[in-house]
This record gives sequence, C-alpha cells and structure tokens, in this order.
Amino acid sequence: MSREHALNDWYAVADVPGLTRGPRKARLLGCDLRVSGQVDDPVVTDEAGHRYPAQVRYDHIWTTLGDDPRALFEIPEGEQPGRRRVPCGVVRVKCSPLRAVENFLDIAHFPFVHTDILGAEPHTEVMAYKAEIREEEDEVWATNISFYQPQAAKSAGGGITTKYAYRVHAPTTAVLYKTCPPRPEEMDVIAIFVQPRSETECDVWPWMALYDDSSEFAELVQFQQEIFLQDRSILENQRPTRLPLDPKMEIPTRADLTSIAYRRWLKRRGAYYGAMTEDA
Amino acid sequence: MSTLPVGLSRDLSAKRVMRATVGGQDLVVWRATNGEISAWDNRCPHRGMALSHGFVRGNTLACLYHGWHYNGAGTCTYIPAHPDLDPPATIRTNRFSVVEQDGVIWVRTDGEAQAPDLPGGLEPLRVFIVAASADQVQCGAAQVPYEGQMADAGAVLHFGAVSVMLLLSPLGDGRTQVTTLASAGLTVAQRSALSRWCEATRRHVEAQQEEAA
Repeated sequence: MSREHALNDWYAVADVPGLTRGPRKARLLGCDLRVSGQVDDPVVTDEAGHRYPAQVRYDHIWTTLGDDPRALFEIPEGEQPGRRRVPCGVVRVKCSPLRAVENFLDIAHFPFVHTDILGAEPHTEVMAYKAEIREEEDEVWATNISFYQPQAAKSAGGGITTKYAYRVHAPTTAVLYKTCPPRPEEMDVIAIFVQPRSETECDVWPWMALYDDSSEFAELVQFQQEIFLQDRSILENQRPTRLPLDPKMEIPTRADLTSIAYRRWLKRRGAYYGAMTEDA
Repeated sequence: MSTLPVGLSRDLSAKRVMRATVGGQDLVVWRATNGEISAWDNRCPHRGMALSHGFVRGNTLACLYHGWHYNGAGTCTYIPAHPDLDPPATIRTNRFSVVEQDGVIWVRTDGEAQAPDLPGGLEPLRVFIVAASADQVQCGAAQVPYEGQMADAGAVLHFGAVSVMLLLSPLGDGRTQVTTLASAGLTVAQRSALSRWCEATRRHVEAQQEEAA
C-alpha cells in the first residue's frame, strides 16, 4: 500500500538545463519514464505512451503518477528578486528516499561528515532548538537552530555561527533556510528534491536560491555537489536500507528532534514508501 | 553457529577497524589503543550507520556519522552533539564473543567463543574468499597440486614437508572465507608458492561450480 500514497505527490524528474539538452530517461516509484518536449511544454510519458501531468517549478520538471495529486508546495522566498537560482544537478544514491531527506535535516553530522566545511571539532554541540509538526500547514518545521561552521557557504569568508531553519512539506522534499554570509539579515534557501527511483534508490536534485553575486555558477554547483557526495558515503552504509519508523529500532537524542518529528509525521500520513513499519 | 575465524590478528593492529562476516552476520571488528579486540554487529544503534567506517579514539570506537563513542563493553560513552550529557546506559552496540588464538581472530555470534585446538607447528598464511560452499572448498583443495605434488587427504593437507590447513567460514551468501595456515618457518619463496596455490584452489573450485551450473 505504501506506493499508493506516494503516487499522489509531485516529484522532480529532470532539471531545466538537462531538458534543454534533449529528452532524458527517468525512473520514478519503479516506473520507467521519458521526459521530453520544451521547457515551456514538458512531456512526461511511460513506456506504454501514457502521458502524465508535468509542470516546471524551481528550475525542475515535476510530475505525478497519481489520479488525485496533492498540490505542489510553494517556496515564496525562492521567487524573491535578486536571488540566484541554482539547480545543482543530480546525485544518485543507493538509499531510501526518506533516509536522504532525514540526513538533509540533520546538523549533528556536520563536523564528522563535512569536516572543515559545515562543521569541525571541537564545535560539535547542538544547542536546544524547536521542532514541530505544524497542523495547519501539515508540515514539519525546525527553528532556532544555530551551529558553528568553518565554511558555511561558498560566499563565506571564514567561520561563522550559522542560523538554520528547516521545512518539510512532502515526504521527499525539504527546504533549508540558513544565514546568508554576505547579507546576514537574509536567509539563503537550499532545497533537496528527492526522486524515488525505488524504495532503496533515489536521484537527489539539490537546488539553491542565494544572494551571492561573486561566485561563479560552476563554483556554487561544485560546492553543493561536494557536500552531497560526502553525504552519499553515509547514506549508502546505513542499515536497514529503509527508514525505520518504529522508535525502538534506532535510538535518538535531543539533537534528533527534527528527525523524530519527520518520522512521526511520515507515520501519521501513511507515507511508508521507503520506510519500515512495525508490521512490515 | 560455532566459533569461526573472521581474520588474522596481524591484519588488525591497534587503532584499526575492519569489516567481517560470519554466517550472514555483518561485523565490525576493531582493536583499541590498549590492544583489546571487539566484534559487534556492524551497526550504530543511533541511525544504523556501519561502524566499520568509524575510527578509534583511545579505547573507544567512534561512528563516522555523528561521532558517538562506544567503549569495549559496547556502551556509548560520548555523544558529541551533547558534550555534557552522560549517555543513557541503554545505548549500546550488539556485541559478540571474540577470542584470538594461533594468530587467528575467532567470533561466535550465539554464545561464548572457544577456538578449536589446532595441530601444532602451523602459522597464519593468508585469507581469501571463494564463491562456493565450505564442503566444496574442502573437496576441491585436495585436487590441486602444490609444486607438482598432490596432498594426502585429511583436515591438514600434507605436501611432503609442507602442511596446509584451511579454516572455513561460510559467509551466508554462498561464499566461504578461507583462513589458511601453513607450516611454521617456511621460506619467503615457499610462502609465495603457497599463496599461488591458494589462488589456484580458488579458481579450481569456482570453475567446478560453473561447470555444475
């Protein structure tokens, strides 16, 4: 039944630069797709020629396989003038799409996995922050997070204490707001759009909307790609592959409040694609 | 499941971490700075990360993902995200019994490990993996000549003055890990020749499997 729930979400299956170069293949929820057409009129079809809805948002082509799709989320900050919108390409990871999102929501791993970039010993402490399920929006939010970072972004000149907030609006997409080093009063927007190829393999599309006038586009992409490749070395070595929703299976601590809220939210939605439940 | 070899003591020096498998059980085997050896389920209880990617700090093993430290008893002693927290005693790894004897690391996953008494005069040669069952390796090895000689059949293979013993650990996926012991005091040339015999044995046994399939 887990796939039934997943069918009605929207998923990024290509980015605009990719489609501009020509048609591409994509795999979504175990189904082989072809993404073709123009950026102003993308076409997503399966092997039998059936055509699925398609729309272009946030520099990606989105599709849904279900008959009753939920609305695609809004990232209003992403539309603000002056921001550079950067699709960062794709990273294929042999892991559950939900494990990929949960890792994106985690800050405690920065000093160990992204050493000397997003974190460094001895600055390992995760201070108290707030994580909640917002009932009205039916979203997971984590706020009041701050963490010392040696190189918080390409635009950072040195170590700073970065403020973070996270937002999860669909099981496989999440947005991060973090201090913008050249404009401390603004927040950079970094999102991941996870395309579940199956329950145990995904394509991850990072996307950013930044205030950064000095870095080359390629440098910005390179920075994010390096981060995600470091994450991949973790994600492909977690067991079980699927995300356990039974709280007894993996022991959290206070730093994991976002992960705890995310797992609880997945469970109450019945978003089990890529998850393990007590009865499965 | 009995006590089975997972590797050689000399391949795991202090502060080193290795991954091993017995009977389908994924293991992390590591040696603390003080020389103490541990064998655990290869999984951090926090977020399921393979501990074999971790690193030794003093007499603890730290997980690569969030740096949680575990001591030789498998108890979590330090959570870097909360440096002042005394971690609850309930956070612990799943430990297995491990002993070292005759230069071999032995693990038992369902009880107290007890290494078998091996014939004297042998020392570790090398470890290799064969895509075949333990029985098939045992049978096949007796069919491969060493320096033109065939072995007498038996638990220990005798090629004239040179003796070889194969310790067989099923990995649980149809493959077998072979820990090879050979007569003590061989020359480098003899050990090299025996190492080539191990390779020849692997190829012979795997070819037999392909023919049968």
